[in-house]
Amino acid sequence: MSDRSGEGAVTAGTEAAELNPLVEKAPVGEATDLPRAFALLAEMTRRFADSLEVTPALVAALESIAAQLGAEGGSLWLRDDQAGEAGEIVCEASVGPADITGLRLSIEEGIVGRCVRENACQSVFDTAKDPAFASSVDKASGIRTRSILCAPMPGSDGAIGAVELINRREGDGCFSAGDLHVLEVLASSAALALSNARMATAAAEHRRVQRELELAAEIQRALLPEAGAVDAPIHGENVPARTVSGDFFDYLELSDGRISFCLGDVSGKGMNAALLMAKTASLYRCLTKTIPSPGRLLAVINDELAETSSRGMFVTMAAGVYDPASGQVVLANAGHEPPLFRSTDGGFRGIPALEPPLGVIQGLLPPEGYPETTIDLAGGRLFVFSDGLTEAIGADGEQIGSEGLEALFDEYQEDSIADCVAAVIRRVGDLEHRDDLTLLGLEQRAGSTSEERAEALWDHRCPAEAKQLAGIRKDLRGALAAAGLDDTRAADFVTAIDEACQNVVRHAYADAPAGDMQVTLLRCGSEWTLLLRDWAPPVDPSCLDAGRDFDDLRPGGLGTRFMKELMDEVSFDSPPAGGGNRLRLVKRLS
Amino acid sequence: MQHEVREEGETLVVALAGEIDLEHSPKAREVLLECVGRSRPILVDLSGVEYIDSSGVASLVEALQQAKARGQSLALASVSASALRVLELARLDKVFTIHASVAAGLGG
Repeated sequence: MSDRSGEGAVTAGTEAAELNPLVEKAPVGEATDLPRAFALLAEMTRRFADSLEVTPALVAALESIAAQLGAEGGSLWLRDDQAGEAGEIVCEASVGPADITGLRLSIEEGIVGRCVRENACQSVFDTAKDPAFASSVDKASGIRTRSILCAPMPGSDGAIGAVELINRREGDGCFSAGDLHVLEVLASSAALALSNARMATAAAEHRRVQRELELAAEIQRALLPEAGAVDAPIHGENVPARTVSGDFFDYLELSDGRISFCLGDVSGKGMNAALLMAKTASLYRCLTKTIPSPGRLLAVINDELAETSSRGMFVTMAAGVYDPASGQVVLANAGHEPPLFRSTDGGFRGIPALEPPLGVIQGLLPPEGYPETTIDLAGGRLFVFSDGLTEAIGADGEQIGSEGLEALFDEYQEDSIADCVAAVIRRVGDLEHRDDLTLLGLEQRAGSTSEERAEALWDHRCPAEAKQLAGIRKDLRGALAAAGLDDTRAADFVTAIDEACQNVVRHAYADAPAGDMQVTLLRCGSEWTLLLRDWAPPVDPSCLDAGRDFDDLRPGGLGTRFMKELMDEVSFDSPPAGGGNRLRLVKRLS
Repeated sequence: MQHEVREEGETLVVALAGEIDLEHSPKAREVLLECVGRSRPILVDLSGVEYIDSSGVASLVEALQQAKARGQSLALASVSASALRVLELARLDKVFTIHASVAAGLGG
């Protein structure tokens, strides 16, 4: 780089000398001490290499150059393209009888302006004869300039500045062609030093920005939910196109056991998209805990974003709530790429957006919010993704579209939802793509009953005796409180199982010494189940028919009435292996 | 379960406390029916009841039925929230006369 531009500058300088009648040639070496010039060059280069601050080194270099070439004064000018209409040059360093540091000239002005503009050496024997001479500098400095020697500081894109000497002290007061060559070499050396310093500053700035971006990316990753257990029903992945991402997804378990999830895509990329992403993700996480309807949730986020929208940015987003107990998903879509539902028979159904993205217009929707679609997973899978996936370029040079994505989902159908999502993201990532890639998968496993998926919270086996009941109630209350159920609801569960246990205590082992009973508490999402097992002779399930009539005040029928009143389902399972009975009490909380 | 019977003028105040479940309701029944046998107005103070099940409610119902048969009054007072929930479940909150406090029950 420096070779080419250095030669260019010399050539241009020679041309300028030939074209400009005011610039006269002098033989190289005449009145110039070359060994001393080389010594000065070596000294200057060493000083630039040693120095962290480039300006003092430039001032020192300028002093040495002026002294070496016997100039009355000297100045070093740097180009400032941002200033003025055509750009300006500013005096960065000055030596001699007057300090003109900080003086600004238009790049159209003066000999030095012409030098920078044309990236060519200038030698003027008599300023009075050169109409380009800017007398304003003499007015500012109080010095009368007679002769000028000026060499450009070459950069990769024209001159970055120039070094100017004035008024040779000795001889006829004019600089020789040899002086010009020496100045040209020294100015090139200074230019190189300055370019290096500027590059070092830019590199440091770049490293700083990069570090900040990486910090931002780290915080963004922390906004994404941590991967759940291997058998979790939901899994998401996000691969940013740049350091930070404009996509996001999130999911969390609500207090009633349902799972809220969302996936969004902020228009644009880079830092501004990432910041809006962070805001939207925070709003979602905060609001979903109190707004269980995804349609209303999106409407509230829309109003919030629109209130402070900037630069026309908006967010496409799909949000849903999944109930593991029923397998149902309620989904709302604000201008987002249609999520795909894959049923167990392999068919796909897209859930298109009927309403625009978030953050465009406030109060766009009725109070009930964005329209909701209810999907019965029934063992199938739901995929929500950003358009980065469908817009990836396939082997045929075309976007893979939702068809390409469906083929990938089919390919990994036998894998767990987490493995499937990870594999599809990897496969699309291997294709040519420009956008962030974000994919969220949700599944209800085929054939899994709610009991198989349920979590056993508490289990207790003891003799079927009245004196055991207080302990059962106390321990069950503790288990329900630990599971996060409020006291009022817990009290109802306790009453229901207590009544069931009473029946076992009173009737089951009537003709024999008391056998055992076993109480188990199960939870699957919002569905809570209490199982009461005994090992007594089978009962007639029709005994539960009693107690239907609320006008019947016979004391014995009350317990069954309580159970039916408090729970959604009271029934006997088919006879369990090993004999006895199993009563099932189920409550679905919404 | 704890119980205490005291006289407030003509009225017998029966205070029941603790857990009235299958294990303890026979005792509650015995105490209540004994009071009914004394042929005086009865006010059952339930303020100390932490838990009552259907067997406990049945004891109250039996005592009410016998008292009515003998032309006596039996009312409840200061029913705790958990006990009220069970009475409501059985739709018995409409059957019993319930006073906010023992004082209110005696004044009425």
